[in-house]
Amino acid sequence: MDKHRIMVIDDEKIVGDMAKLSLEQEGYQVETFLNAEPALKRLEEEKFDVVVTDYKMKGIDGMEVLRTVKDRYPATQVIMITAFANLDAAIEALRRDVHDFFPKPVKIKELKASIKRALGKQG
Amino acid sequence: MKIENKLILSNIINGAFIILIGFFAFQNMSLVLTKLRFVEIADDLNASFLTLRLSEKNYFLYHDRKALGEIREKIKETAETIQAEKNDIVPAIGETDLKKLESLLKAYSDTIEETRGKGQPDLELESRIRSAGKKLKEYSDSITRLERKRVSEIILNSKRILIVSFWAILFSALFIGHFISQKILRSLREIEKLAKSISGGNFNKIEGFRSNDELGAVIIAINSMSEELGHREEELIQSKKLASLGILTAGVAHELTNPLNNISMIAQTYAELYDKLGEADRIEFMNKVDAETERIRKIVKNLLDFSKPKDATPSEGDINAVIQKTLTLVQNMIDVSNIETSINLAEGLPHVFVDEHQVQQVLVNLVTNAVQAMSQGGRLVISTRIGKSGESIEIGVADTGKGIAPEFLPHIFDPFFSTKGEGGTGLGLSVSYGIIKNHHGEIRVESKVGVGTTFTIELPRYSEGQYRQYGL
Repeated sequence: MDKHRIMVIDDEKIVGDMAKLSLEQEGYQVETFLNAEPALKRLEEEKFDVVVTDYKMKGIDGMEVLRTVKDRYPATQVIMITAFANLDAAIEALRRDVHDFFPKPVKIKELKASIKRALGKQG
Repeated sequence: MKIENKLILSNIINGAFIILIGFFAFQNMSLVLTKLRFVEIADDLNASFLTLRLSEKNYFLYHDRKALGEIREKIKETAETIQAEKNDIVPAIGETDLKKLESLLKAYSDTIEETRGKGQPDLELESRIRSAGKKLKEYSDSITRLERKRVSEIILNSKRILIVSFWAILFSALFIGHFISQKILRSLREIEKLAKSISGGNFNKIEGFRSNDELGAVIIAINSMSEELGHREEELIQSKKLASLGILTAGVAHELTNPLNNISMIAQTYAELYDKLGEADRIEFMNKVDAETERIRKIVKNLLDFSKPKDATPSEGDINAVIQKTLTLVQNMIDVSNIETSINLAEGLPHVFVDEHQVQQVLVNLVTNAVQAMSQGGRLVISTRIGKSGESIEIGVADTGKGIAPEFLPHIFDPFFSTKGEGGTGLGLSVSYGIIKNHHGEIRVESKVGVGTTFTIELPRYSEGQYRQYGL
């Protein structure tokens, strides 16, 4: 079986770097992006199981990523992380079928557990 | 001396002068009266002397003894009159002249007495009688003439004195009035000048106007008012800054979340992968932590710098650097809104001489307003360029927000004027205006409803020595 593919989008480079290092320990194949545009392009080429995206980004933001991914690839699970504990954003994300919603600072263990659940949901 | 006292003193002096003149005029009048009384008496005496000479002539013509009797009678009468009117005569002509008159009368009387007992006419005696009579008449006539002349002299003199005093009093009143009003006008002009400079945002003082009077007191009061206004403006600037700080703090707190998250993730990953990391990796991880803490330190320092109340400390510098620092404060506010930004900073601008924190405060205020005006999204352009004359630099803060109605535009720098309803204190722009004025700069606004608003700040370029005068 192929490795699960995880995409991490965050304009903070360290988030991508650390997530990649840690998630690769679980045997996932991880790709990181600093903004959404090339990430969405990459999705057109390759199927990803889980997209972890920051909410607030320059250009296309996390909500837009969630909407696009759910439109085009309904099976792909989206986990949103955000520096803002913004209830409105969380509610909107839930309505758009977000898999999980993490405020920063992110606990990596919880993120991993959430990804595991997402992969299980995906079946 | 107080102006009030000066006026009182001047009135007292003028009053005393008028009393003196009145007293002098009264004296002259009394003297004139005395002299006139004498002239009246003298007229009577002259008439008597004329009668004497007529009787004398009769005697010489007809050697009428009866005429001699008449003469003696008249001499006696005249002598009695002189004695009776002595009190009125002496003050007019003096003791000496009276004695002279009396002695001439006596001499005449003596020559008349010599005729007693002489039957025939004596030519030599007649000639002496005639001579004595003539002397008496002439003397009497001369003192009468003299006294008449004196009366007209006294009257003429009084007239002159009255005319001179009139001009003197008029002149002194005009001079004192002019002097005092000049002084009042001069201080009013100083006060007007200061009021203008205060409304221009310069809380100067009136210097070099020393006076112990009411004007001095007014100037002192106005100087202390100006100073107090200056303090108030400082307080206003500070309170406005604290209000901005509230907005900024929320943004900056979010700004801290990212580096904190980064440190947290580095730490978690470091612990998880500890065994697998090489020496170099570990050092790199720690360096990353260090870099992130530095990032936090900068954000916090910026905020602290901004919030600290400070005396204005202008320094020479590059305006672009000030704008860059300001952007770190407002970046988060811009990011969370749906706004595009473009920053066009001209290179190689002449330096300015500004208090960095005050100018930052103005920029934060303008950017905050712009962001609030673009709640539906838009474009924020922050730019710098050299001024048209080349003697200044210009900073533009332009938004594509809802714009300001033309009727509000002239008032937006007025204190407490706000178009934001309950949300605004109406002080932000007035404080900004004050700060830019203090820098001898200009702040202008152009706006079109539905199109957007552009604020332009013009600051003079730095030149050696020119800024010593700044009350910053």
